[in-house]
Amino acid sequence: MAMVEREAVERPASPFVELIGGRMEEWREGYVRMSLTLEPHHTNPNGVMHGGVVTTLMDEALGGVIASVRGLETMFAAPHATVEMNASFLAGARPGDRIEVEARVLRLGRRVAFGEAEARRDDGELIAKGRMTFVILEGGAA
Amino acid sequence: MTDERRRSPFSAFIGTEMEELREGYARVSLTLEPRHTNPNGVMHGGVITTMMDSALGAALGALRGEAARRDPHATVEMNASFLSGARPGDRIVVEGRVIRMGKTIAFGEAEARRADRSADPRPNGDTLIAKGRLTFAIRKRGE
Repeated sequence: MAMVEREAVERPASPFVELIGGRMEEWREGYVRMSLTLEPHHTNPNGVMHGGVVTTLMDEALGGVIASVRGLETMFAAPHATVEMNASFLAGARPGDRIEVEARVLRLGRRVAFGEAEARRDDGELIAKGRMTFVILEGGAA
Repeated sequence: MTDERRRSPFSAFIGTEMEELREGYARVSLTLEPRHTNPNGVMHGGVITTMMDSALGAALGALRGEAARRDPHATVEMNASFLSGARPGDRIVVEGRVIRMGKTIAFGEAEARRADRSADPRPNGDTLIAKGRLTFAIRKRGE
Protein backbone atom coordinates (compact mmCIF):
# COMPACT_ATOMS: atom_id res chain seq x y z
CA MET A 1 0.00 0.00 0.00
CA ALA A 2 1.22 3.45 -0.88
CA MET A 3 0.22 4.75 2.53
CA VAL A 4 2.41 2.23 4.30
CA GLU A 5 5.40 3.15 2.17
CA ARG A 6 4.81 6.82 2.88
CA GLU A 7 4.63 6.17 6.61
CA ALA A 8 8.12 4.67 6.46
CA VAL A 9 9.59 8.12 5.76
CA GLU A 10 9.02 10.45 8.66
CA ARG A 11 6.10 12.72 7.97
CA PRO A 12 7.22 16.32 8.24
CA ALA A 13 5.68 18.76 10.70
CA SER A 14 6.53 22.44 10.76
CA PRO A 15 8.14 23.81 13.91
CA PHE A 16 5.94 26.88 13.47
CA VAL A 17 2.74 24.81 13.43
CA GLU A 18 3.89 22.85 16.48
CA LEU A 19 4.57 26.17 18.19
CA ILE A 20 1.01 27.39 17.66
CA GLY A 21 -0.55 24.03 18.54
CA GLY A 22 -1.82 22.75 15.18
CA ARG A 23 -2.41 18.98 15.04
CA MET A 24 -2.36 16.63 12.09
CA GLU A 25 -5.58 14.60 12.29
CA GLU A 26 -5.52 12.77 8.97
CA TRP A 27 -2.85 12.44 6.32
CA ARG A 28 -3.33 10.30 3.25
CA GLU A 29 -2.53 10.62 -0.41
CA GLY A 30 -4.42 13.67 -1.72
CA TYR A 31 -6.13 14.63 1.55
CA VAL A 32 -5.02 16.26 4.80
CA ARG A 33 -7.05 17.33 7.81
CA MET A 34 -5.64 19.40 10.69
CA SER A 35 -7.13 20.80 13.87
CA LEU A 36 -6.45 23.41 16.51
CA THR A 37 -8.33 24.34 19.68
CA LEU A 38 -8.27 28.10 20.07
CA GLU A 39 -6.74 29.55 23.20
CA PRO A 40 -6.43 33.17 24.33
CA HIS A 41 -2.96 33.45 22.77
CA HIS A 42 -4.45 32.80 19.30
CA THR A 43 -6.47 36.03 19.34
CA ASN A 44 -6.24 39.54 17.96
CA PRO A 45 -6.90 42.69 20.02
CA ASN A 46 -10.67 42.09 19.69
CA GLY A 47 -10.40 38.79 21.53
CA VAL A 48 -11.28 36.65 18.50
CA MET A 49 -9.14 34.36 16.34
CA HIS A 50 -6.22 36.11 14.61
CA GLY A 51 -6.36 35.64 10.82
CA GLY A 52 -2.79 34.39 10.89
CA VAL A 53 -3.86 31.25 12.73
CA VAL A 54 -6.10 30.02 9.94
CA THR A 55 -3.74 31.09 7.11
CA THR A 56 -0.93 29.20 8.86
CA LEU A 57 -3.05 26.04 9.11
CA MET A 58 -4.19 26.31 5.49
CA ASP A 59 -0.61 26.75 4.29
CA GLU A 60 0.52 23.80 6.38
CA ALA A 61 -2.35 21.52 5.35
CA LEU A 62 -1.86 22.34 1.66
CA GLY A 63 1.91 21.94 1.83
CA GLY A 64 1.26 18.60 3.51
CA VAL A 65 -1.29 17.37 1.01
CA ILE A 66 1.00 18.21 -1.90
CA ALA A 67 3.77 16.29 -0.10
CA SER A 68 1.40 13.33 0.28
CA VAL A 69 0.90 13.20 -3.49
CA ARG A 70 4.50 13.91 -4.46
CA GLY A 71 5.98 11.53 -1.89
CA LEU A 72 8.23 12.61 0.94
CA GLU A 73 11.52 11.61 -0.65
CA THR A 74 10.68 13.55 -3.80
CA MET A 75 9.63 16.51 -1.67
CA PHE A 76 12.85 16.63 0.32
CA ALA A 77 14.90 16.41 -2.90
CA ALA A 78 12.94 19.25 -4.53
CA PRO A 79 10.83 21.10 -1.93
CA HIS A 80 7.69 22.99 -2.85
CA ALA A 81 7.07 26.50 -1.57
CA THR A 82 3.94 28.65 -1.41
CA VAL A 83 3.99 31.45 -3.97
CA GLU A 84 0.39 32.66 -3.82
CA MET A 85 -2.34 32.53 -1.23
CA ASN A 86 -5.88 33.87 -1.47
CA ALA A 87 -8.00 33.54 1.62
CA SER A 88 -11.56 34.60 2.39
CA PHE A 89 -12.51 34.92 6.04
CA LEU A 90 -16.19 34.09 6.23
CA ALA A 91 -16.84 33.89 9.96
CA GLY A 92 -14.93 34.29 13.20
CA ALA A 93 -13.98 31.94 16.01
CA ARG A 94 -13.08 32.44 19.65
CA PRO A 95 -11.12 30.75 22.43
CA GLY A 96 -12.62 27.36 23.21
CA ASP A 97 -13.68 26.77 19.59
CA ARG A 98 -12.01 23.87 17.83
CA ILE A 99 -11.25 24.52 14.18
CA GLU A 100 -10.53 21.99 11.47
CA VAL A 101 -8.81 22.62 8.16
CA GLU A 102 -9.16 20.27 5.20
CA ALA A 103 -6.90 20.52 2.15
CA ARG A 104 -7.08 19.02 -1.33
CA VAL A 105 -4.81 19.12 -4.36
CA LEU A 106 -6.48 20.61 -7.42
CA ARG A 107 -3.63 19.95 -9.82
CA LEU A 108 -0.05 18.84 -9.52
CA GLY A 109 2.22 19.74 -12.41
CA ARG A 110 5.94 19.37 -12.80
CA ARG A 111 6.76 22.91 -11.68
CA VAL A 112 3.56 24.22 -10.14
CA ALA A 113 0.90 22.76 -7.85
CA PHE A 114 -2.54 24.14 -6.98
CA GLY A 115 -4.66 23.38 -3.96
CA GLU A 116 -7.59 24.56 -1.88
CA ALA A 117 -8.39 24.51 1.81
CA GLU A 118 -11.47 24.96 3.97
CA ALA A 119 -11.59 25.83 7.65
CA ARG A 120 -14.61 24.98 9.79
CA ARG A 121 -15.59 25.62 13.37
CA ASP A 122 -16.66 22.59 15.41
CA ASP A 123 -20.33 23.60 15.04
CA GLY A 124 -19.89 23.05 11.28
CA GLU A 125 -19.74 26.74 10.25
CA LEU A 126 -17.38 27.38 7.32
CA ILE A 127 -15.03 30.09 8.61
CA ALA A 128 -12.43 30.41 5.84
CA LYS A 129 -11.61 29.27 2.33
CA GLY A 130 -8.22 29.42 0.74
CA ARG A 131 -6.62 28.82 -2.64
CA MET A 132 -2.90 28.42 -2.90
CA THR A 133 -0.28 27.96 -5.56
CA PHE A 134 3.01 26.25 -4.90
CA VAL A 135 6.17 26.16 -6.96
CA ILE A 136 8.36 23.09 -7.00
CA LEU A 137 11.93 24.20 -6.39
CA GLU A 138 14.82 22.45 -7.99
CA GLY A 139 18.01 21.90 -6.09
CA GLY A 140 16.77 22.51 -2.56
CA ALA A 141 15.08 25.19 -0.49
CA ALA A 142 15.86 28.90 -0.80
CA MET B 1 -7.84 51.33 26.42
CA THR B 2 -4.06 51.67 26.25
CA ASP B 3 -2.01 50.71 23.20
CA GLU B 4 -0.48 47.91 25.22
CA ARG B 5 -3.89 46.39 25.74
CA ARG B 6 -4.62 46.70 22.02
CA ARG B 7 -1.67 44.44 21.22
CA SER B 8 -2.51 41.21 19.52
CA PRO B 9 -1.90 38.21 21.81
CA PHE B 10 -1.10 36.03 18.78
CA SER B 11 1.53 38.45 17.46
CA ALA B 12 3.10 38.68 20.90
CA PHE B 13 3.07 34.87 21.11
CA ILE B 14 5.02 34.43 17.88
CA GLY B 15 7.42 37.26 18.83
CA THR B 16 6.68 40.20 16.52
CA GLU B 17 7.49 43.77 17.59
CA MET B 18 5.45 46.84 16.72
CA GLU B 19 8.08 49.34 15.60
CA GLU B 20 5.94 52.19 14.38
CA LEU B 21 2.22 52.85 14.48
CA ARG B 22 0.46 55.92 13.19
CA GLU B 23 -2.80 56.72 11.40
CA GLY B 24 -3.06 54.33 8.46
CA TYR B 25 0.49 52.97 8.78
CA ALA B 26 2.17 50.29 10.86
CA ARG B 27 5.57 48.61 10.78
CA VAL B 28 6.20 45.32 12.56
CA SER B 29 9.38 43.27 12.74
CA LEU B 30 10.57 39.81 13.69
CA THR B 31 13.96 38.11 13.78
CA LEU B 32 13.38 34.58 12.53
CA GLU B 33 14.14 31.68 14.83
CA PRO B 34 14.04 27.93 14.17
CA ARG B 35 10.52 27.81 15.67
CA HIS B 36 9.24 29.96 12.77
CA THR B 37 10.14 27.45 10.05
CA ASN B 38 8.51 24.78 7.90
CA PRO B 39 9.89 21.25 7.36
CA ASN B 40 12.42 22.62 4.86
CA GLY B 41 14.00 24.76 7.56
CA VAL B 42 12.93 28.06 6.00
CA MET B 43 10.31 30.58 7.12
CA HIS B 44 6.73 29.26 7.30
CA GLY B 45 4.35 31.25 5.10
CA GLY B 46 2.03 31.67 8.08
CA VAL B 47 4.57 33.93 9.78
CA ILE B 48 4.28 36.49 6.98
CA THR B 49 0.49 36.29 6.65
CA THR B 50 0.23 36.78 10.42
CA MET B 51 2.51 39.84 10.31
CA MET B 52 0.63 41.34 7.36
CA ASP B 53 -2.72 40.84 9.03
CA SER B 54 -1.41 42.36 12.27
CA ALA B 55 0.24 45.34 10.61
CA LEU B 56 -2.82 46.27 8.59
CA GLY B 57 -5.28 45.61 11.39
CA ALA B 58 -3.24 47.96 13.60
CA ALA B 59 -2.76 50.61 10.89
CA LEU B 60 -6.51 50.68 10.34
CA GLY B 61 -7.10 50.73 14.09
CA ALA B 62 -4.82 53.75 14.45
CA LEU B 63 -6.67 55.51 11.66
CA ARG B 64 -10.14 54.75 13.04
CA GLY B 65 -9.26 55.56 16.65
CA GLU B 66 -12.13 55.26 19.14
CA ALA B 67 -14.46 53.97 16.43
CA ALA B 68 -12.32 50.82 16.12
CA ARG B 69 -13.03 49.91 19.75
CA ARG B 70 -16.76 50.49 19.35
CA ASP B 71 -17.17 48.78 15.96
CA PRO B 72 -14.22 46.42 15.39
CA HIS B 73 -12.94 45.66 11.91
CA ALA B 74 -12.18 42.13 10.74
CA THR B 75 -10.16 40.79 7.82
CA VAL B 76 -12.42 39.35 5.12
CA GLU B 77 -9.93 38.81 2.27
CA MET B 78 -6.20 38.37 2.01
CA ASN B 79 -4.12 37.84 -1.11
CA ALA B 80 -0.42 37.28 -0.64
CA SER B 81 2.42 36.66 -3.08
CA PHE B 82 5.55 35.06 -1.68
CA LEU B 83 8.44 36.37 -3.74
CA SER B 84 11.46 35.09 -1.84
CA GLY B 85 12.25 33.06 1.25
CA ALA B 86 13.91 33.73 4.59
CA ARG B 87 15.64 31.61 7.19
CA PRO B 88 16.50 31.71 10.89
CA GLY B 89 18.65 34.73 11.71
CA ASP B 90 16.99 36.89 9.06
CA ARG B 91 15.25 40.04 10.23
CA ILE B 92 11.84 40.57 8.64
CA VAL B 93 10.07 43.93 8.48
CA VAL B 94 6.44 44.23 7.37
CA GLU B 95 4.84 47.57 6.54
CA GLY B 96 1.08 47.92 6.31
CA ARG B 97 -0.69 50.87 4.68
CA VAL B 98 -4.39 51.62 4.47
CA ILE B 99 -5.16 52.55 0.87
CA ARG B 100 -8.85 53.36 1.26
CA MET B 101 -11.28 53.47 4.12
CA GLY B 102 -15.01 53.53 3.53
CA LYS B 103 -17.88 53.31 5.99
CA THR B 104 -18.24 49.55 5.92
CA ILE B 105 -15.09 48.36 4.18
CA ALA B 106 -11.40 49.23 4.15
CA PHE B 107 -8.53 48.21 1.87
CA GLY B 108 -4.86 47.95 2.63
CA GLU B 109 -1.61 46.64 1.32
CA ALA B 110 1.43 45.16 3.01
CA GLU B 111 5.04 44.60 2.03
CA ALA B 112 7.50 42.28 3.74
CA ARG B 113 11.23 42.78 3.43
CA ARG B 114 14.22 40.76 4.54
CA ALA B 115 17.20 42.75 5.81
CA ASP B 116 20.60 42.12 4.25
CA ARG B 117 22.29 39.12 5.75
CA SER B 118 25.45 39.95 7.70
CA ALA B 119 27.30 37.38 5.57
CA ASP B 120 26.30 39.09 2.30
CA PRO B 121 29.54 40.16 0.65
CA ARG B 122 27.90 43.17 -0.96
CA PRO B 123 24.81 44.39 0.86
CA ASN B 124 22.41 45.84 -1.68
CA GLY B 125 19.46 46.86 0.44
CA ASP B 126 16.53 44.95 1.79
CA THR B 127 14.91 42.26 -0.33
CA LEU B 128 11.15 42.35 -0.93
CA ILE B 129 9.98 38.86 0.08
CA ALA B 130 6.18 39.16 0.07
CA LYS B 131 3.35 41.46 -0.95
CA GLY B 132 -0.19 41.33 0.31
CA ARG B 133 -3.56 42.94 -0.22
CA LEU B 134 -6.13 42.82 2.52
CA THR B 135 -9.77 43.83 2.79
CA PHE B 136 -11.47 44.53 6.09
CA ALA B 137 -15.13 44.74 6.99
CA ILE B 138 -16.16 47.28 9.58
CA ARG B 139 -18.82 45.80 11.81
CA LYS B 140 -21.47 48.08 13.16
CA ARG B 141 -22.50 47.35 16.72
CA GLY B 142 -25.59 45.22 16.89
CA GLU B 143 -25.08 43.62 13.49
